[in-house]
Amino acid sequence: MGGKRKKSENEGAGEDDSSNKSASKKMKTKKSEILPSSIKNKEKRSAVHSKLKHQKKVEKRKKLKVRDAAEKRAVELGEEPLPRQIPRTIENTREADETVCMPDDEELFAGNDVDEFSSIIKRDRTPKILITTSRFNSTRGPAFISELLSVIPNAQYYKRGTYDLKKIVEYANNKDFTSIIVVHTNRREPDALLFVCLPDGPTAHFKLSSLVLRKDIKNHGNPTSHEPELVLNNFTTRLGHRIGRLFQSIFPQEPNFRGRRVVTFHNQRDFIFFRHHRYIFDAKEIKQSEAKGKKAKDAKGESIAKEKVVARLQECGPRFTLKLISLQHGTFDTKGGEYEWVHKAHYSHYSSSSPFLNVSLKWTPAEEDFSCNLIHGFICFTPGMQRFSAEEGQYWQ
Amino acid sequence: MPRTTTVECPGCPPLRALTFDALGLIKVIEARTKEGGVPKVVERWGDPDAAKCVLAASLDDRKTDPLLAVARKSGVIEVLNPLNGELSVTVSNVSNGNARPEDDAIVGLHLFRRQILESTSRSCTFLTCTTKGNATLRSVEMTDSPSDSNASKTWNVCGAGNISFSQVDGNESYAVFGGKGVEVNMWDLDKCTKIWTAKPPPKNSLGIFTPTWFTSATFLCKDDHRKVVAGTNSHQVRLYDVSAQRRPVISFDFRETPIKAVTEDLDGHTIYIGSGSGDLASVDIRTGKLLGCFLGKCSGSIRSIARHPELPVIASCGLDSYLRIWDIATRQLLSSVFLKQHLTKVVFDTNYSEDVKYYEADVAPHEEQSIGEVQTADETEKPRTKRKKSSKEDRGSKKKSSKEKDRTKKLKSKKRSKSLENETADDE
Repeated sequence: MGGKRKKSENEGAGEDDSSNKSASKKMKTKKSEILPSSIKNKEKRSAVHSKLKHQKKVEKRKKLKVRDAAEKRAVELGEEPLPRQIPRTIENTREADETVCMPDDEELFAGNDVDEFSSIIKRDRTPKILITTSRFNSTRGPAFISELLSVIPNAQYYKRGTYDLKKIVEYANNKDFTSIIVVHTNRREPDALLFVCLPDGPTAHFKLSSLVLRKDIKNHGNPTSHEPELVLNNFTTRLGHRIGRLFQSIFPQEPNFRGRRVVTFHNQRDFIFFRHHRYIFDAKEIKQSEAKGKKAKDAKGESIAKEKVVARLQECGPRFTLKLISLQHGTFDTKGGEYEWVHKAHYSHYSSSSPFLNVSLKWTPAEEDFSCNLIHGFICFTPGMQRFSAEEGQYWQ
Repeated sequence: MPRTTTVECPGCPPLRALTFDALGLIKVIEARTKEGGVPKVVERWGDPDAAKCVLAASLDDRKTDPLLAVARKSGVIEVLNPLNGELSVTVSNVSNGNARPEDDAIVGLHLFRRQILESTSRSCTFLTCTTKGNATLRSVEMTDSPSDSNASKTWNVCGAGNISFSQVDGNESYAVFGGKGVEVNMWDLDKCTKIWTAKPPPKNSLGIFTPTWFTSATFLCKDDHRKVVAGTNSHQVRLYDVSAQRRPVISFDFRETPIKAVTEDLDGHTIYIGSGSGDLASVDIRTGKLLGCFLGKCSGSIRSIARHPELPVIASCGLDSYLRIWDIATRQLLSSVFLKQHLTKVVFDTNYSEDVKYYEADVAPHEEQSIGEVQTADETEKPRTKRKKSSKEDRGSKKKSSKEKDRTKKLKSKKRSKSLENETADDE
């Protein structure tokens, strides 16, 4: 369009060169104002667009350069450099939540001591899990269950048959199971998980999505039968805390650190990501180029390779994502059940993505302490790390 | 995108509420005009202990010497002073020591405002009811020494099944009981006789009979013991008229989870119902029509609803650990307080604004609110006239004349509504 207009204007401008020049100058200023989206010719539009983009990039680079130079100068002069601007992100502009658990909350600990999971977490009972399915189960369902059995120690698979879930709950109670996991399959694809804690609840219903089985993971490892460590990330609100304890009550409380096996439940904006890894601490040669950069000629003299320890991860699978649909008080009862929490997406003034399980992802020291106290994962994970560091030297540098 | 700003709550009028939770804590929540009507926990009584879980509570908020009775899971009933939380009397409900308190938990407690059993002035009387249907009417001397001379009457209100609620009417001479496998039944407290039992609704067209399971009930009117509203586990709300018939007069469904709390309004025809999945709604029981739902972030089962006796405000609490205060007319959330535990009961302390001197400024908003209430009462009648107005205009009659007509219509309709109200009052 711009081109067209230019032509027409050139024609209309007449013969006078000076006037023509001024007109073209005007055109240039005008051209910069024209939005590429208003250009109809695609080639022209994309050309203008890329040009604009490039301009912006150059400007940005210049700005950064100027800022860096100013900072450098300030440091040289011994002045305090201007504070860098903090970008506004979804996480740091989030509304404050009063339900976030605090480490100095005695009511929270008193509540923890008497809740349904405390007997397992205090090691009075050992977790014993019953895994079953929905009525119909095929293809990926059984494969997923066999992998779950390898992830969760002391789990047993029972065929569902035609039993009611309430009957199964009764049976499992008599057999001293501590929880039931029901894998619900729809269209030959597992799509929901139901955790029933025994003997008296609660019952958590999760949506299961993006399931990747072990054999579909590239370079996957095969887990050993050691008891895994557990990492629970970002279960910070009261509800999240409860869900975290629910996951914790499924796994044995004393992990076998020799197994170097770790199960992660990572919560991010109410989606809980499940991962299962093996880790290893590897001794690695420090690359020559790195050493060069640091120590220049002296390093060359000592050509003996220095060793550095690196933690490597190997994923064992399965890999899936959970989203909480409801948390029910008591064992499974759809008709007469009382809910502690139900996801209600239809409420208008209630943004569906405002989180319930975790709110702040900012890791303040207070929170870190707290997580060490509360979240089982860090109890397991950090001592494990410490032990390794004591035995085999320091790794985290 | 997640919400990055807080939803603004308008704040509530000055009030004082007491909540009771699963760890046996009693929390006092006060909202003051000075702080923009934001309710806050001002006091916490008791230490967290699961055995002390509050099962039922009752408040007698008279102006002098108010009393609060609290029934604990351990089978103990405590009588407290609701102003400072001082324990005055402790009574154990475990009589004859046969049943463990866990097996026969208290489900209902009512503290009497009038004297029932022959007793001295320094005593309090209360009615308790346990899961197995042992209703006890006892009066306790308010002396310091533990007295053995407690006058008490015990009777059984059901042969089989489990009682899940008991409720005493406004004049405190009748009580209703009901529960799982127990139809709603009414007892005369003076004579301790059963005067009425409900009859289950007939089988439906498929021959399916819903098992009886009542979860909550309330008397519809303070002065009238004959009308009872009950909620069932099969998400049904039923209105029983004792003087008319044994089957429900009106029954309707509400959502798909059990009704967990039913509370009456002061006007005698509106009720508030709370369900197991956190839905709270108000219903006009004369017609059984839903007036509207209280929409909010509420997502846990509602265990208790309380209506403020003076302000147009209700409070709800439940398993989501929030105390929420709602406006009745607009059904808007006024404010909510996070209380950390599963809450079992909420009560309002009416005498709050009176006993504090520097809240004289509060009197004005009170008046405004009462005016507001009147206006809302008028508004309920408005839709009729509005509809007429629009239909008139549609017909294309002259505007002025129509307006005039409307005015007259309005007056008429108001009159009519008043007369209607009178009729309904007569009915009741």
